[in-house]
Amino acid sequence: MNKTDLAGAPGARPPVVRPEDSGLQSAGTALWRYLGLMALAALPLLLLAKDPYWLNIIAFTYLMGGLASAWNIIGGFGGQFSLGHGVFFGIGAYVTAIATARYGLSPWLVMVPAALLASLVAMLISWPTFRLKGPFFAIATMAFNEVAFVLANHFDSFTGGPRGIMIPFKAGFANMIFRERWQYAVLMFVFVALVVGITVCLRRSRLGYYLLAVREDEDAARASGINVLSVKLQGMALSAFLTAIGGTLFTMYLRFIDPPSLFTLQDVGVKFALLSLIGGVGTIAGPLLGAALIVPFENFLRAELADALPGMNLAILGLLMVLAALFMKRGVVGAVEDLVRKIRSRRGGR
Amino acid sequence: MAQALLQTRGASKHFMGLKAVDDVSLAVHKGEVVSIIGPNGAGKTTYFNLLTGQLEPTLGEVSLRGQNINRLAPQQRARLGMGRTFQIVKPLIALSALENVMVGAFLQHRRMADARDRAMAVLQRVGLGAHAKRRAGDLTLSERRRLEVARALALGPEIVLLDEVMAGLNQSETGRCIDLLRSLHQEDGLTFLIIEHNLKVVRAFSERVIVLDRGRLIAEGSADEILSSPEVVKAYLGEGHQWTPS
Amino acid sequence: MDQLLNVLVIGLLLGGVYGLVSVGLNLIFGTVRIVNFAQGELVMFGMYGGYYAYNILGLSPYLSVFLVAPAVGLLGVLIQRLVIQPLHNESNMQIFATFGLLMMFQNIMLAVTRGEARSVGGDFGAQVIELGDIKVGTVRLLTFVITTAITIALHFWLTRTMVGKSVRAVTQDKRAARAMGINVEKTFLMTFGIGSALAGLAGVMLTPIYSITPGVGGNFILAAFAVVVLGGLGSVWGAYLGGLIVGVVEAFAGYYIDPALRHAIWFLIFLAVLIIRPAGLLGQVGAEEVGFREQN
Repeated sequence: MNKTDLAGAPGARPPVVRPEDSGLQSAGTALWRYLGLMALAALPLLLLAKDPYWLNIIAFTYLMGGLASAWNIIGGFGGQFSLGHGVFFGIGAYVTAIATARYGLSPWLVMVPAALLASLVAMLISWPTFRLKGPFFAIATMAFNEVAFVLANHFDSFTGGPRGIMIPFKAGFANMIFRERWQYAVLMFVFVALVVGITVCLRRSRLGYYLLAVREDEDAARASGINVLSVKLQGMALSAFLTAIGGTLFTMYLRFIDPPSLFTLQDVGVKFALLSLIGGVGTIAGPLLGAALIVPFENFLRAELADALPGMNLAILGLLMVLAALFMKRGVVGAVEDLVRKIRSRRGGR
Repeated sequence: MAQALLQTRGASKHFMGLKAVDDVSLAVHKGEVVSIIGPNGAGKTTYFNLLTGQLEPTLGEVSLRGQNINRLAPQQRARLGMGRTFQIVKPLIALSALENVMVGAFLQHRRMADARDRAMAVLQRVGLGAHAKRRAGDLTLSERRRLEVARALALGPEIVLLDEVMAGLNQSETGRCIDLLRSLHQEDGLTFLIIEHNLKVVRAFSERVIVLDRGRLIAEGSADEILSSPEVVKAYLGEGHQWTPS
Repeated sequence: MDQLLNVLVIGLLLGGVYGLVSVGLNLIFGTVRIVNFAQGELVMFGMYGGYYAYNILGLSPYLSVFLVAPAVGLLGVLIQRLVIQPLHNESNMQIFATFGLLMMFQNIMLAVTRGEARSVGGDFGAQVIELGDIKVGTVRLLTFVITTAITIALHFWLTRTMVGKSVRAVTQDKRAARAMGINVEKTFLMTFGIGSALAGLAGVMLTPIYSITPGVGGNFILAAFAVVVLGGLGSVWGAYLGGLIVGVVEAFAGYYIDPALRHAIWFLIFLAVLIIRPAGLLGQVGAEEVGFREQN
């Protein structure tokens, strides 16, 4: 069907483009950058491996970094501002907790099926909501989150209701329960490395480009042959899958879950988006950077202020959200990119 | 008579009693350049949207290579070989020019490296090779229009639908754009269906012209015939359009 | 049959409460399309305002409302000027920023009150009128009447006065409104201020019947969005009707199904409306797109 050969001579292959000319990263560069980023991220773990207080913060930072990166797939690349990712987080958490505490199954076994369930639920609830415009989509996702909260509280024979589910301590790799904090930190590191790695590959894939196109302009995307709804669903399914895995890890780390810890918007659903926003929505390193900036900071606030002024840590976080929305829409990574571009254009002319 | 590439038979679009498009039949054959002209509100854009799939016809049929495509969505038509540009140009702002075109190229090239190579070739073809790395948001209007043509070309289409692709361009930019389109038509054998307000462009580039007025097709013929027809002048005169057939 | 009537009356009165809480949001979100997630917190401030006015100044809520509502309205004007205006046309960022405000307001009050619930004296809220076999709380009845009065006034204002019409014009097309000489920024400021004052008013009116905690606003916000969307964006009577429907459905669901599931009801209504008929009951089809397109 396509007979236009736009390189000139009929049958000639288009000339191979050198990476320097295209402005795109070669696969090798992307790999090196990824390894560098992960090495940097691993540094705190290596340096503070003996300190249990810091190990806890580091483990949480990795976990939140992975969750924010998972959100970033659909929220950043795809531009679909979901604030209800707590639902998928919760599915991963509850399936894991029930399987482990009640049926003695290994969380490693349950992790993937739970994540697949989350993907399925994600596609089911997204299919009707993706055609909502602007803020209605975000508000609808928040509504789904609240429904999950209510259901989790209500079906207490299943979920333990408001009392939650506790997982007894039985150390062992098969149980995903470790004696040493540093082992958990390593587990979380593997998680974030996996999620970030997936986003690197995604960014260089057809689906990744299609997600970006859908984000930038849906009409233009359609004119380019893209099935917009299908692309959004795929991005959401992947995002939900990885978020649910984070839910599994969260459950096995704390060994206790209840509806508030999973479905409180401020701490979960909105937090994933906040971390990505502060670090840089739609970038590779942004979510992890956001986690690195916010999680320790929030911990510090909570420790300092919890007694004197309960809740002030959240108030300050709220202030940060307002400031980020007003002044830092592209996040830290975005600000750095803008700076680099300004310097380059001043140096190189055009 | 060879089968038409893109055809409408009695295509109509009614909006609550208003006949925006009324019984328009048109056949575009492979390798042709057909222009649609008409005063504002004539229904050109609505007709265009029937062709691209943004709207479904109330009556009549739109067909591609003989097959009825009334119910096909825009992305399906793109996959079947229909490229299009937009009246208000829609670049993917945060992406580079090259990445913009890659989005189109991915249709036929699944691997990133292949899509990249193909996109680069297309960019060079439209004269934007030097701008590959630049962010689409930083391009001028003329560059953005060429970028959008490139993105459509990267699909490997058989027919390209252009919606007022010259709008907003100055004289020299318009001239360069006409040269590009001519070259794409003559060297690459692309079929074109364009909406155009600029009659100089119509004269320079089109083989056949159809005139819409108040939703109906009121005239059809060669560029010379149409542009000197008194009926057409009358349709435009209500708008205050004046031109001398030169 | 008696029980049915009882539940219905409870539902309608509850609907009056929802309607009152939502009327401000309907003006802000339904009419000028600003997504304000902190709206529930403005109600909360109204409640605390009514409480402190009662406890410290001895003023009944029906008097202190004339102090508290404008104060909350002023806060609203500040929010619009500092936070919303820079984010015009960026709905997702508005959600984010106003959610941040929600967190700030809730948690500042938490720190100030140390989480203790407050309530205005029981004598007030406990008064009951008997209509036949049905007992109707006086305060709730009064709230219902006030809601109806405000709805009528607001409808009149939006459709008959020049100022009100300019508010609607600004939603439809900012550029055209500007071309007609309407000061768009001032209109938004005023609308947000009035919408906030209405939220504060709702809070004061509810002081006698709700226990006041910092999180009380969060209870209302999604219900309020549900009401506004259900009733139809920009339709004042639609929001009124929506409030009644949500109230009645919640009352019946609570009675016949399960009290705990009551809250899920709003969300399910909300989601159903968004998916099936986003324009709501009395809104114009396509209303949900107005104001959310690209505009200068």
